[in-house]
Amino acid sequence: MLKIQDLAVSTGGTRILNGLTLAVSAGEVHAIMGPNGSGKSTLAQVIAGHPDYTVEQGTVTFDAKDLLELEPEERAREGIFLGFQYPVEIPGVNNAYLLKAAVNAKRKANGQDEIDAFEFLKLAREKMSLLGMDPALLNRGVNEGFSGGEKKRNEILQMAVLEPRLAILDETDSGLDIDALKAVAGGVNALRSPDRAIVLVTHYQRLLDYVEPDVVHVLSKGRIVRSGDKSLATELEERGYDWVQEAASA
Amino acid sequence: MNDAAVDEGLLRVAVERMAAQNLGAIRAAALERFAEAGLPTTRHEDWRYTNLTPVAALSNRWLAQIAPQVATEGLEELRSDSIRGEIDAHWIELDNGILCSDSLGQLERELAGGVTLSRLSEADGREVHIGDPLSSFNAALMPDALLLKVGAGVALDKPIGFLLRDDASTSVCHVRLLIRLGRGANAEFVEAHRSAGGAEHFANLVTEIELDRGAVARYVKIQERAETHMQVGRLLVRLDDESRFEHSSVDLGGKLIRNDVSVTIAGKGAHFSTSGVYLAHGRQHIDNHICADHAVGPATSRQAYRGIASGRARCVFNGKAIVRQGADGTDAEQTNHNLLLSDRAEIDTKPELEIYADDVKCSHGATVGQLDAQALFYLRSRGLDRERAAQILTRAFAGRVLSEIAVESVRPYVERIVDAKLDALVEADEE
Repeated sequence: MLKIQDLAVSTGGTRILNGLTLAVSAGEVHAIMGPNGSGKSTLAQVIAGHPDYTVEQGTVTFDAKDLLELEPEERAREGIFLGFQYPVEIPGVNNAYLLKAAVNAKRKANGQDEIDAFEFLKLAREKMSLLGMDPALLNRGVNEGFSGGEKKRNEILQMAVLEPRLAILDETDSGLDIDALKAVAGGVNALRSPDRAIVLVTHYQRLLDYVEPDVVHVLSKGRIVRSGDKSLATELEERGYDWVQEAASA
Repeated sequence: MNDAAVDEGLLRVAVERMAAQNLGAIRAAALERFAEAGLPTTRHEDWRYTNLTPVAALSNRWLAQIAPQVATEGLEELRSDSIRGEIDAHWIELDNGILCSDSLGQLERELAGGVTLSRLSEADGREVHIGDPLSSFNAALMPDALLLKVGAGVALDKPIGFLLRDDASTSVCHVRLLIRLGRGANAEFVEAHRSAGGAEHFANLVTEIELDRGAVARYVKIQERAETHMQVGRLLVRLDDESRFEHSSVDLGGKLIRNDVSVTIAGKGAHFSTSGVYLAHGRQHIDNHICADHAVGPATSRQAYRGIASGRARCVFNGKAIVRQGADGTDAEQTNHNLLLSDRAEIDTKPELEIYADDVKCSHGATVGQLDAQALFYLRSRGLDRERAAQILTRAFAGRVLSEIAVESVRPYVERIVDAKLDALVEADEE
């Protein structure tokens, strides 16, 4: 589904990703782990099309489509979703309004009619209740004054409503208490299906106790230096990242 | 002919030819005041960013015609102006600055005694403000002035609307409105600027408002002129004890727009608030000068304006609060936030505080920025295209003022025209 080949990316003249190669197939959950500054968030942002990053070499394809040729909104309509590490506060833009506009942008791209207002509210409320979210958040400004946990749940809500084919969650677990972590994990697990893929970008193994990954990758200095099954995550938790990095440079 | 200044000879001839109507003494005094000062130039600090040379040039061309003639024949397309259907108000029509007698008579009947309407030419010994060049220019050439008084204790059922409609048949108009609210009166006003056709036009509006003790006035200016229009407006307000003046200004149209809102807080416990939004594209120029003059305290004033400029537009905001000696207990606040949508647009913002009293609370804040790149990416990553994302963000930015528009019943109308203008702004920026 997602194929990244020898990808090099820089921002502001600094090289962040350095020949990264990764393949994610439908039905799989991948975890991308690594120390701070290893390039995890950059990878997530580049897949979503953030304009601040320059791709210097390599290819990124999604179902054989050249992703690098597409605008961020086109990628979203193809079914790619990025859960932000720091969801943006947009005062004055109603949360429900954005959610509905996003649903309709996707429906329009698929040649469908706009969603019925009643149907939309029903859908949003149902997903919110599954995530343990206060329905009042629907009528607030997007992430405006939301707590850290509410912001992350709001990302998962958008994902749940948009039903992407590839979801990339950038440190969605950071800063969450155990209840919020479980709610987020529940939202991710609910999305798991044979025709979808999920990439979890995370610093800690904690989330992986609730969302079991098929593959775990370790990113260091802009490259994947080790891949393995979920036991790799446990090993990282016990031994830290240094041994992987040392082994990689040896 | 020197086009940088109004030609004094032409002006004198024009004033002489105007019908005497009882206004001769006012016109003569105003003429002398104006002849002395002339139009302000960019050498005056208050006019540094706004150049009135095109106003002088157009005025000279108009004065050079037979006489300052005012015609209202080309206004058919505005006769059934859509705004009348959208905003429920007691409308008073001013076609090219001329008061329509029909609308005056009808209004007095509608208001059944609570409001008195008359013309300055019928009032004996009433003086008007001529203390600054544009006010004296106005008084020298105004065809007449409207006197409107809301009786003590009267509360109006719906806003009084001033519908200023200008067309190509007259290129200059000077309009004066004189409003007084008696003790404890409560009234709302809408001043709507509309135009027919796209000819050049200059409108010079002076509105004087007095609020007696405990009176409450809410006043909204909605300016949607053609982009060939120049308009200067002075709103001069005096507040007595415990009175409230809540004002809003919406400027979307015009080529060159300058608003001066000058409020003297002359009574204890008075309150003045003003909120405004200005949206400029192309080569539009919109300048807002606000002055809250706290002569006594305690009293409060609030100024909150937001502006967006795209293309090569230029916007100016100058918000001032003066706290006179002894005006203790003054609480004055002002904010001005701006969004630049293009590299070639310019916004100059200047908050000013002059404080001569000890016990005061004053604050101000001004920003000029661009659309938040992170927010733009966030919206696009949810499938919204760039243009739509920019529209949503600019709407959210302007929306902060829209929810504070002083006359609640005009908000839906204002929201609709602001949305339409924002679409034009963002589209123009894309090109």
